[in-house]
Amino acid sequence: MMFPAEITQLAAAPWLPLHFVPAANLVGILPILIVGGGAVMVLLADLLVPRRGNLVLPVATAIVLVGALGTAAGQWAVHASNPVVFNGAYAEDRFALFADFVILITALAVVALSPGYLRRRGMEEGEYYILLLASVTGMLVLTGALNLIVVFLGIELLSIPLYVLAGFARDEPLPQEAAMKYLLLGGFASGFLVYGMALIYGETGHTGLVAIHHVLTTTAVSQQFDPMLLAGIALLAVGLSFKVSAAPFHWWTPDVYQGSPALVTTFMSVATKVAAFAVFLRLFSATLAPYRAEWQVPIAVVAIISMVFGNVVALAQTSVKRLLAYSGIAQAGYVMIGLAVGRPDGTEASLYYLAGYAFMNTGAFAVITILSRRGEDCDRYSQLSGLGRRQPVLAGLMAIFMLSLAGFPLTVGFFGKFFLFSAAIHDGQLPLAIWGILTSAVSLFYYLRVILIMFSGMPQTASDEEIQVAGVSVGGAAVAAPESAVAVGVPAGLVVVLAGAGTLVLGIFPALIYTLLQGITVVHG
Amino acid sequence: MTWPILAVLLLVPLGGALLILGLPGSRPRLIRICLIAVTAATLGLSVVMLVYFLAVPGSAASRLSGRANGQSLSQVHSPVTFQFQEQLSWLHTSSSLSQFHPAFNEGNNAFNQAGPPPINFSFHLGVDGLAVWLITLAALLFLVAAVVLSRKEERLKAFAVLMLLSEVGVIGVLTSLDLVLFYFFWEAALIPLYFIMIGWGDERRGRSALKFIIYTVAGSLFMLLAILGVYFITGAQTSVYTFDVPTLIAAQSFVSTTHATTFSLFGHSFPAMNPQDWLFLAFALAFAIKVPLVPFHSWLPDAYTSGKTPFLVFFAGIVSKLGAFGFIRYNLTLFPQASHLFQPLMMGLAVASILYGALAALAQSDVKRTVAYASISHLGFVVLGIFTLNIDGIDGSIIQMVNHGIVIAALFICVGIFEARFATRSLRDLGGLAKTMPVMAGMFLVVALAGLGMPLLNSFVGEFLILLGAFQVSPVWAVVASLGVILACWYMLRMYQGLTQGPLRAPGGPDESSVIAQAVGRFGRIDLGPVELVALVPLVALMVLIGVYPGPIIRYSRFSAAQYSQAVARGTVASPAARQVTTPADGQGRGR
Repeated sequence: MMFPAEITQLAAAPWLPLHFVPAANLVGILPILIVGGGAVMVLLADLLVPRRGNLVLPVATAIVLVGALGTAAGQWAVHASNPVVFNGAYAEDRFALFADFVILITALAVVALSPGYLRRRGMEEGEYYILLLASVTGMLVLTGALNLIVVFLGIELLSIPLYVLAGFARDEPLPQEAAMKYLLLGGFASGFLVYGMALIYGETGHTGLVAIHHVLTTTAVSQQFDPMLLAGIALLAVGLSFKVSAAPFHWWTPDVYQGSPALVTTFMSVATKVAAFAVFLRLFSATLAPYRAEWQVPIAVVAIISMVFGNVVALAQTSVKRLLAYSGIAQAGYVMIGLAVGRPDGTEASLYYLAGYAFMNTGAFAVITILSRRGEDCDRYSQLSGLGRRQPVLAGLMAIFMLSLAGFPLTVGFFGKFFLFSAAIHDGQLPLAIWGILTSAVSLFYYLRVILIMFSGMPQTASDEEIQVAGVSVGGAAVAAPESAVAVGVPAGLVVVLAGAGTLVLGIFPALIYTLLQGITVVHG
Repeated sequence: MTWPILAVLLLVPLGGALLILGLPGSRPRLIRICLIAVTAATLGLSVVMLVYFLAVPGSAASRLSGRANGQSLSQVHSPVTFQFQEQLSWLHTSSSLSQFHPAFNEGNNAFNQAGPPPINFSFHLGVDGLAVWLITLAALLFLVAAVVLSRKEERLKAFAVLMLLSEVGVIGVLTSLDLVLFYFFWEAALIPLYFIMIGWGDERRGRSALKFIIYTVAGSLFMLLAILGVYFITGAQTSVYTFDVPTLIAAQSFVSTTHATTFSLFGHSFPAMNPQDWLFLAFALAFAIKVPLVPFHSWLPDAYTSGKTPFLVFFAGIVSKLGAFGFIRYNLTLFPQASHLFQPLMMGLAVASILYGALAALAQSDVKRTVAYASISHLGFVVLGIFTLNIDGIDGSIIQMVNHGIVIAALFICVGIFEARFATRSLRDLGGLAKTMPVMAGMFLVVALAGLGMPLLNSFVGEFLILLGAFQVSPVWAVVASLGVILACWYMLRMYQGLTQGPLRAPGGPDESSVIAQAVGRFGRIDLGPVELVALVPLVALMVLIGVYPGPIIRYSRFSAAQYSQAVARGTVASPAARQVTTPADGQGRGR
C-alpha cells in the first residue's frame, strides 16, 4: 500500500533499487538492516578467511554492532515524531531504542569476550559470530514489533540461532542435551504464543497492536466476559514467560544455562531476557491495557512464584552456572513486578532494572567465562575458592556483581529494586513488594556465599574447609587441583572492568539512566 | 561555618581509603601511620564541628530552623532542628509524564494518564545534638581502633581500607537527612563490615558474618518498604512528595493517622492497623536488630566472639549505636502516635534485653561472650530511655550511647589483651593476674566499674537519667530495670575478680615465672605495652571526665532531647495546624 507522501519520498531517492519499499521505512529499521546485513557479510567473510583463530570475524562483528549502536543513538537523538513504519508493523520508538541499546551493548561485550573464550574452550568456528548476529537481528525486530506476526517473527529469529549456539560445544554431552531441551521446549512455547495470537486475532479481527488496542477500548468487548480473548491473553503470557524464564515456565532454564557454553549463556541470560521483556511490556502494559484488571493478578502471581522459586532453589545449588540460572529466574520475577504494575512508573522501573541487570549479569558471567578452561566451564565452587588471593581484582569485581544482584546500595541493583518496589507500592500492590523484600533477604545467602568462598579461602587449605564453613557440601572439591591464576586478555578484562564500573556508577548516579527513561514513549499507532 | 564540614567529614576517610589503596602492601608501617593520620584528621574535624556546633546554642533553633518545601508545610517548622545543612540534588524526576502515545490513551484508559509522582531525593546532610556526639564518638573509636591495629596484622592494607570505608558509612548514616541517602549509607556500611568479618577473626567467622548480614539486611529491607510507605502516604496526604527528613518530620503534623489511607491487597483494603503503626514496626524491626533488642539478638554473641579487637572497637562501639540513633531520629519523629502506642512494647523489649543480657553474661565462662551479653544489657538501657518519650530518658539515652561506646571499646581492648597473652578467653583458665599485670589490672578495674555504672564514672550519668525518665512513665519500669544495674555489678565484678584476684591461674601453670615466660614468648611482654596504653588511657580518662563533669555533653544533648520529646509529643497533643487537617477521631495511641 502506498501513500502519496511516501511516493514523493521514494522519488527523492531514485537510486534506491527497492522500488516497493518507501525509503523512510528503511531508515526506520536501519539498525535491523545493519545487523542483518552484517550477518550476511560475516558469513561471506568466513568463507574468505578460512584460517582459524584470527580476529577478522570478531572485529567485523564488533564493527557491525557498533554501527547499529551508532544508528540507534542517532535515531534516539532525532526522536522522530512518528517512528512507525511499514504500515504500523514496526516502531523504532524510544522504548524500542532503549531496549536496543541494552541488547547491542550486551552483544558487544559477548563479542569482546568471544575470541579468548572460544580459544580456551577449543571451539573457534566462524558460524558462532554469524549465529550471534542473526539472533541479535531477531531481538531488534522484537523490541519494536507492532504486529503479532512481527512479534512471532522476531521470537523465532532470535530463538533458532540460540538453539544452535546452545549446542555449540559439539564434542561434549551436556551442551547437546541443553540444545535439545531448549529446542523442544522453545518450540512448545512458540506453539503457545501462536495459539494465543490466533485467538486474539479471531476475537478482534486484527494482528496489528494498534488496531487490537483500538478494538479493545472502543467496542463493548472490554465490558463483557470474553473467554476466547482471555485464553488468548493467557497463552501469550505463558509463551512470553517461557522466553523470560519466569517460574513456573522456567524448567528449561537451569539445564540450558548449565549445559550451554558459558558465553552463550551470558548472551541468552541477558539479551534474550531484555528483548522478550520489551515485547512483554509493550503487549501487556500498552496493547492489552484495557484488560489490565484481568491480567494483573496472574502476572503478579507469576512474578511472586519466580521470586520465591528462583531464590529458594538457588540456595541448594552446587553449580555456579545453575546458581546464576536460578538467580536469573528470580531476577525475571523482580522485573515482572514492573510489568504487573503496568503504569508508566512500572515500565520505567522494569527498564531500569533490565539495564542494570545487563551490567551485573554480563559481568558475573564474564568472570565465569574468563575462569573457564578447555573441556569445561568454571562451574564448581572450588574453582572460585581462594580467588580473592589469586586474582583480587577479578574477585573484587565478581563481588560487586554479586552484591548488585543481591540489591545492595552503591550498586545498580539497589536502585533497580528501589524503583520496582516504589512502583508496586504506589500502585497499591503491597504483596508484590513484600514478597520482593522477603526473597531479596533469602537471596543474600547464596550471593554472599560466593563472596565468602572467594575471599575467605586460605591459599593452601582452600576449598574444603571453607566451603564447609559456608554451609555447602561439594563432592569432589578436595580432589580439585590447586588453581593457578589465569591470564585475563585485554578485551575480556575491559568488559569486566566496564561492567563493574557501570554497576557502581549507575548505583551511585541513578539519574544517568532514569532521566533517559523519563523521555521514552511506548508508541503504538 | 562557610565550608561544607559534613561533606569533608565524609570525604576525608574516603580519600584516606583511596590513598591507602595506592600504597604498597609491603610497607605496613607506612600504612599504619597513614591510617592513624586519616582517622586522627577525622577526629580533629569532628571536634571542629563540635566546637562550632556549641558556638551557636539555642539560637540555631530559630536561625537554622527546619526546611519545608510545600505551601501548606511552609508555616510549620520541623520541631527538630539541624545545623550545617548541605543539599545537592541526587535524582529529580518530573511528574506525570505520560509515556504512552496519544493513540494509546484512547477510551477511558485512566491509569495511563495518571503519571507517577516525582521521585525526588537529594544528598542532604545535617546534624543535631544527637548526631554530633555520635559522630565524635565514631571518629574517636576509629582512631582507637587504628591505634590498636597491629602492624603485623595479616593483609593490613585491606583491613585499613575496609575500616576507613566503614567509617564513611557510619558517618554517612549519622549525617544524612534524606531517607534514601540514609538507607543508602545504612546498607552500604554493611559491605566493608562484611568483608572485615569474613577476612579476619576466628575460624567460625564465615558463619558469624553470614548470620549478622542476613539478620540486619532482612530487617532493613522492611525499612526500605516503610521508607517508600512514608513517602507515598505523606505525599498523598500533603501533596508534598519528598524523602527529605526535616520536611517529613514537619509534615507529620499534617498526616492523618485515621484509616483514610489504606493499602489494597489485590482489591481488598487493608486497615487492620493504622498505616503509621505498620511503618513504625518496620523501622523498629531494622533498628531492633541492629541494636540488638532481645528476640533479635542472636547474631551478636557470635559476631562479637569471632571478631578481632580493632574491628570490635568500632563495631561494638559505634555500629550498634546506629540502631538506637535510628529509633530517636526516625521512629520518634516520623511516627509520634505509633511511638506512644508501642511504648509499652518497646519498653518491655528493652527491659527484657537488660535482664536477659545480664543473666546470660553471668552464665558465660568466655570473657568475650560475657562482654557481648553485657553489651546487650547496656543497650537495653539505651532503648528503655528512648521509649520513655520524655526529655530525661531521651537525654540519658544520648549520653549513654556515648558512654557505652567508650566502655565497650575499652572492655574489648582489655579482653583482647588477655587473649593475646594467654591464647585463651576462658575464666576457668585465667585468674590472679593482678600481681603479674598490675597496670593492666588497674585499668581493667576502672573499665569494669564504669561498665557496672559506678557513680563518678560515666555510665552512672546516663543510667541515672534513663531510670529517672523511666520512673516518670511508671515506677515499675524503673524498679525492674534497676535490677539490671545490680546484675551488672555481679557479672562485671565476677569477670574482674576471676581474672585478677585469687591464686594465679594461667596457661603455663601456677608458677609465676613460667606464666610470664609463656606470655612473653607469645606476645613479647606481659603487662601493657605503650601502644595499648595509648589506646586505653584516653578512654579511661574520658570515663572519669564524663563521670565527674558531664555538663558539656548534657547541655547540648538536652537541647536535642527536648526537641525530640517535643516531636514525639505531637502524638498526644494535636497541634493547631494538625487539627485543621486531621479528624477528631485522630490519635488512637494515647500513651502517657
